[in-house]
Amino acid sequence: MSNVRQVALSGVVLALAGALVALVPTASPGAPACQLGVPSLKLGVQGVASGPHADYGRQIEMGATLAIEEINAAGGILGCRLEMRFMDDENRPATGVRNARFLVTEYGAHFLYGTDSSGVAMALGPVLQELDRIQFFTHAATHRLTEELVAQRGIKQIVRVSVPVYQDAIAAHLFKDRRDVRRWATIGADYEYGYATWALFRDQMRRFRPDVEFVGAAWAPFLTLDFSAHISAVMARNPDAIIATPWAGEAVTLLRQALLQGVFDRIQVWFQAMGGSVDVLEGIREDVKENRFRGKLYATARYLHNWPNTEMNRAFVSRFARRFNRMPNYSAEVTYSAIYITKAAVEKVRSIQTDKVLEGLKGMQIETPAGVRTYRAEDHQFVYAVPAGRVVADPRYPIPIVGELKVFDPKDYYRWPPFTGLDLSK
Amino acid sequence: MDDLAYQGLIGLSQAMYLWLISAGLTIIFGVLGVLNFAHGSLFMLGAYIAYTAYGLWGLPFAAAVGLSLAVVAALGLVMERGFLRHLYALDHTYQLLLTFGFVLVLDDAVKLVWGGVFKIPPIPRFLDATLPAFGRPFPVYNLFIMAVGVLVAVGLWVVFERTWWGRMVRATAADREMAAAIGIETPRIYAGVFMLGAALAALGGALGVPVRPASPGIGVAMIVQAFVITVIGGLGNLPGAFVGSLLIGVLSAYGTLLFPVFELFFVFVIMAAVLLVRPQGLFARS
Repeated sequence: MSNVRQVALSGVVLALAGALVALVPTASPGAPACQLGVPSLKLGVQGVASGPHADYGRQIEMGATLAIEEINAAGGILGCRLEMRFMDDENRPATGVRNARFLVTEYGAHFLYGTDSSGVAMALGPVLQELDRIQFFTHAATHRLTEELVAQRGIKQIVRVSVPVYQDAIAAHLFKDRRDVRRWATIGADYEYGYATWALFRDQMRRFRPDVEFVGAAWAPFLTLDFSAHISAVMARNPDAIIATPWAGEAVTLLRQALLQGVFDRIQVWFQAMGGSVDVLEGIREDVKENRFRGKLYATARYLHNWPNTEMNRAFVSRFARRFNRMPNYSAEVTYSAIYITKAAVEKVRSIQTDKVLEGLKGMQIETPAGVRTYRAEDHQFVYAVPAGRVVADPRYPIPIVGELKVFDPKDYYRWPPFTGLDLSK
Repeated sequence: MDDLAYQGLIGLSQAMYLWLISAGLTIIFGVLGVLNFAHGSLFMLGAYIAYTAYGLWGLPFAAAVGLSLAVVAALGLVMERGFLRHLYALDHTYQLLLTFGFVLVLDDAVKLVWGGVFKIPPIPRFLDATLPAFGRPFPVYNLFIMAVGVLVAVGLWVVFERTWWGRMVRATAADREMAAAIGIETPRIYAGVFMLGAALAALGGALGVPVRPASPGIGVAMIVQAFVITVIGGLGNLPGAFVGSLLIGVLSAYGTLLFPVFELFFVFVIMAAVLLVRPQGLFARS
């Protein structure tokens, strides 16, 4: 071979080698490899992403996405990059169970998050035990998930990060001093969550006000399109106040139909249990602006974007709004916080094994956008305060807020172990 | 007694809304023999279009409803002429699958266009009032629905019993081949009937949107109720659907007042009771 050819050939070889080197990813200096013995940490997330409650599943997905992006940008968990797979549980227990099995056995999820419906949550409990995967529950509210499945039956794979149904009964504390409010009725969601709220509310209110009467109840199943009959049935009992548990789009339907029946001219108080949810506030925006609820609409939620007024919460809301062009709902904040809780526990015990992670949760007090959350080991429930108040328009926010907030110590309205039974009869 | 009477009025308004959402389904099945799963999706689309036209663009409510009917009727024409007509000669299963396919497509289409969050416009001013009834305020909106329901019932009776087109529709429904043999353009009849059914679905959605947010999946909630009504009334029987709506609307309203514990089962108990006595439905043809 001539010298010129040799030089040319060497040049081509060197160029190709250089191209190969450039194409093959190499670890940048200082970037740690995943220290948990897995290629990446996989998170399986599910929520309702179809039907009238679809915003909650979407908010769960958004909250998870934001947390994962932030954690990955900061180097992951012990060098492990996070990945997520979101699935729609369609608000059906069978679908939720099928999704959980898929997420663990096919996708390979190391941790699970989500679930809006209490019915789906209760179905998942035994399956999580079988799959030996911790699910951080981020919405489903039934007290039975933690009191029964964890504390009594010992299903350790359940951890709840959101406030349970105890929160919905905060109305008893909010109105206990209102002497003009004696006759209470409910328009309840016709399943576990609605029954538990009404039972807890009555139980607590009786302790404060033996003079209070519970005068009527109407129950509306999922997918109720017309609440007129429920509203008129309850108003026939002449209540002073109504506590209502239909949520999401059904809450907006109920409130709009109640307005049409002139309810807010006759009652003193309407407590919409999850009325502080972003989608509900968006839906009633015009009605609040025009004061059609006459200042009588009160609410709470499992997180309110306008409370607490901490740097962490303000920054979270701001980042979320920039990223998704929406205010964060409680299902978003709870899922976001749940992933950070996972990070804290895994980093503490340097493991993803169920028992070790649960050890890592013990004694945890962690600051989150919703405030300080404290882990209760007896039933794997995170405890934190969420206030209640009146739904008002506020020029600082694009949608109404729950304002005139009253904060209560969770010691006063949570149920505490040892747990006693609760009569859930209608 | 006043409470019972008031609850009965509420039941009547519920009944008229149930009638509005089931009439179109009944007509399509009665003439075309097609059980249109997509009826709920057309209802949903009617709600979204009315929300957009009235809530976002600021059109008068009546114009928004009219636009909703026109657009969904046009879509009905495309569905029937473009797709369904190729399947009439085949087994009914293919028609069911096709209309189910429409459900999936339309549900995803509304998510793409309007997003997943539910939408509700302000209540039209002329409907935002009450009138005294039995000592309590009764919503003008509910009276409006009752009036529209009655008008639709009378209007459909006039169209099918007193017009030339109605006679042709009845002839086609009775015997399609004979109707074609005597010169009735049955393809046009089919298209017209499907458009009418679609427009009625849209009417239910559009009139309902001031008090029921438009959301993906609202069609599912509606179609279950519509099927119950049509089964009780006798599949394809319009007077049966009207009476079935009255039965369900009024009885379930009283059930909510008097037996609230059994709310979840009430509609299906009524359906089961009717079918035990008349398995073919109340007014089924022999």
